[in-house]
Amino acid sequence: MNEPVILSTLSPTYLSGALSIRQQFELDHDGSAVLRRRSALVDRVLGGLFTHAISPEGGAPRGLCLVAVGGYGRSELHPSSDIDVVWICADSAAESAHRESTAAVLRTLWDLGLRSSGGLRTLSECRSVVATNPEFAIALLDARYLAGDPQLFSTLRQRTIPGMIARERESLVANLDELTRQRHRKYGDTIFHLEPNLKDAPGGLRDYHVARWLAVIAGLDERGEREAPVELWSQAFTPAVSAAFKFLTSARSLLHFHRGRDDNQLTYEMQDQAARLGIGMPDGGPRPAAEWMRGYFRHARAVESLVARLRDESTRPRRSLYAVFEDWRSRLSNADFSVIGGRIFLREPAQAGADPELLLRMFEMVARHGLEPSDEAERAVAHALPELAQRLEEMPEAGLSLQEILVLPHAGQALRAMHRLGMLAALIPEFQAIDALVTRDFYHRYTVDEHTFNTIQVLHALPKPKPGAGRASEAREPALGEVTRRFGSLLGEIEHPELLFLALLLHDLGKGSGHPDHVQGSLTAAERALARIGTSPEEDRTILFLIAHHLDMSSTLLRRDILDPATIREFARKVGSSERLKMLTLLTYADIKSVNPEALTPWKADALWQLYVSTDNRLARSLDDDRLALADDATLGLDVALPTARPAEKPSDLHAFLAGFPERYLAVHAPGEILEHLAMAQSLDRAPAQVRLERGASWWQLTLITRDRPLLFATVTGVLASWGMSIVKAEAFSNAQGVVLDGFAFDDVHRTLELNPPEIPRFEQALVDALSGKLALEKLLAQHSSGARRGGPARPALRREPRPGKDGVQPRGGPDRY
Amino acid sequence: MKKIEAVVQPSRVEAVKEALVEIGIGGMTISEVRGHGRQKGHTEVYRGNEYTVDLLPKVKFEIVLLDAQVEPAIDAILRSAKTGKIGDGKIFISSVEEVIRIRNLDRGENAI
Repeated sequence: MNEPVILSTLSPTYLSGALSIRQQFELDHDGSAVLRRRSALVDRVLGGLFTHAISPEGGAPRGLCLVAVGGYGRSELHPSSDIDVVWICADSAAESAHRESTAAVLRTLWDLGLRSSGGLRTLSECRSVVATNPEFAIALLDARYLAGDPQLFSTLRQRTIPGMIARERESLVANLDELTRQRHRKYGDTIFHLEPNLKDAPGGLRDYHVARWLAVIAGLDERGEREAPVELWSQAFTPAVSAAFKFLTSARSLLHFHRGRDDNQLTYEMQDQAARLGIGMPDGGPRPAAEWMRGYFRHARAVESLVARLRDESTRPRRSLYAVFEDWRSRLSNADFSVIGGRIFLREPAQAGADPELLLRMFEMVARHGLEPSDEAERAVAHALPELAQRLEEMPEAGLSLQEILVLPHAGQALRAMHRLGMLAALIPEFQAIDALVTRDFYHRYTVDEHTFNTIQVLHALPKPKPGAGRASEAREPALGEVTRRFGSLLGEIEHPELLFLALLLHDLGKGSGHPDHVQGSLTAAERALARIGTSPEEDRTILFLIAHHLDMSSTLLRRDILDPATIREFARKVGSSERLKMLTLLTYADIKSVNPEALTPWKADALWQLYVSTDNRLARSLDDDRLALADDATLGLDVALPTARPAEKPSDLHAFLAGFPERYLAVHAPGEILEHLAMAQSLDRAPAQVRLERGASWWQLTLITRDRPLLFATVTGVLASWGMSIVKAEAFSNAQGVVLDGFAFDDVHRTLELNPPEIPRFEQALVDALSGKLALEKLLAQHSSGARRGGPARPALRREPRPGKDGVQPRGGPDRY
Repeated sequence: MKKIEAVVQPSRVEAVKEALVEIGIGGMTISEVRGHGRQKGHTEVYRGNEYTVDLLPKVKFEIVLLDAQVEPAIDAILRSAKTGKIGDGKIFISSVEEVIRIRNLDRGENAI
């Protein structure tokens, strides 16, 4: 072949054709047309080359054909896509005969500026290619005839490829699944990247191709003939995925034309340009970049859902272990749901609109067992959604269900499903503002909603502390990592993990509020959301504290000297209690780790742990050294609500009551509680001990205010023990007037108070009598040990074993109950 | 040409960066490092158990400069990183034989 001559002939043809495609795209922004037209143009170039190099005399040579594979085989050539071809030879003799001429064709393609790859393969090599070259085996699925021996191509297409699939379908699917899994992992298993790769990221064009390949494999396997892949997809997916393909190809074409190379990262700059041009928009009109990106994520989500479904269906029956697991999961079916193949079906989908609780139970099932809602269940949610918001507002249990979902191991998966189906926004309308929201900064890799779900997933992925695990077991599990083990043990100690998870769910709502300070925006949105969720004022205080300070630990460890006692003292005063410190530490850990996979370096994790330990020690050992002073309004730092909450109280009474209490008292008690304590203290003239008993979500809470006296704390614990109560934690404060405030959280092991409400005043009176000396503690304890407490309620015969770390008294000022 | 390696307290990073930028030094490499000098770590107690933190978190600046820029840069680092406490860090200075800008193959002082 005379390469210079052919080059001079074909080069103008290709260049003018490529220019025409570009000009047309600049007019209509139609990526699908670009793909078709460029493929047709390259077909003409290759046809010309083939004629000149292989059959200058005309006619098709026997035993050799040129085949387009991969994207070119599908006639989907983006402006800078590689040209993937393969020369198929009937046998090794044909291979030897055409080696030089076929190489010359590829050289000329490169000289034309077309990046191409292609080698010679015999038909027999193609039969066994799955094991040796899985990527090529997959590329062959898109084989398309270009030139040469048509009979040979027919054999490849009708016999060799179907034969290969029939023999090695399982390996082919497994290879495809593994390649997809690896690719998704590289992108953090999420579609929600701030600057996504349009081809390789989850939900991108490569996923669309995987869905096609899986459909082709399934179609050939079951029918023995090839059908258009899109016809093999569930009809529920087809419109959304077809629209996604058009959008993605148009956006990718823009990238290629703009950069002149196969670079598929949708940078901020290109997002702005695509949005301005209305690329992929149905009306072709310009959009704000944030809105355009929401469109991108909607399309990516459609592709991701399809490919996830097809991967699941393609691989499930082949894995025996998985089949056992699926069989176990099917036993999770109950009166409301059937579980089939890892998916949840509503037994009565029509009930979904009338019974939002049913849907919440379904998502709770997702969170508990890691299942997915079926297509039918998703349709039922979508159908019920318009009336759900109203019904959820009238349903106080909805907030409790959400809290239950948050603490379950697969909460991230459930929240993503709820968000995808609009259920989360129905519960928390403020969440809509961060739906697929891109925040442009150097560090964040994911959209705000995905970052939020990641934080919750990160905490649930922490290793769970094992009962009795000590140094020996740690030594056997070095892979877990010391750092994650430490944070995992901290999570196991949180008394109310649902508050921590709620804070994580709401901590970045402000990024969608338009408020210049996103923390303030989050606080405003969180207050509204919490009012609907139905948390108590005390719970709100904890959650809002965590949101308000969610950046404080990061900034302290990066901008302050955490080895300086003054830094620790200041930070400990801000946090106030060990429980809050644990939650803030874990929130910070999850928040940093969810920014991007590399954000939480071992260096930062160590520094965070160091800050936690130093602050915890400070809280445990010396915070009570800092006492409130009389009339020191600034130090008191009281909420403005205090004087207005009960106008009858004189500020001087309040200050006199507070003076001498450790500063920690203000941190761990809400203004309303402080006023209650003041009222109780003011009643000490009428009775020597003031007792308040309340039932909390987990434990009973006893608050006792009296004047200090010897053996006070021991007497109270003795009375609690004589009634069979298990003390979970305790606190004690005393002020300058000698008034003592003791708080006890206890577990009513035998449900004495719960099942016998008349016992509550008797229990309170026993406390007062014991403290005033009217009742001998020794006598109470003796009655308890002999089980002869007359007039008391019948007790269950079973006695629960003490729980490690839960039964016992926390020493005053101790770090916690462990 | 000289290379300055300065190991400083993490809390002084922003101040050091600003001080260097103020005198016209914009190019620098910053790494999270751990180590100890005379400070030799410290003992911490967590829930009754003592443990030793022997490698302390520090941040390392690496800057390559013209000879004339070295003294101003040292002054800027000292001014911004010094707290007077043990553990403030150290500055190391060494000679650089060659610098090559990968993008356009500039060499020597032109590549800084």
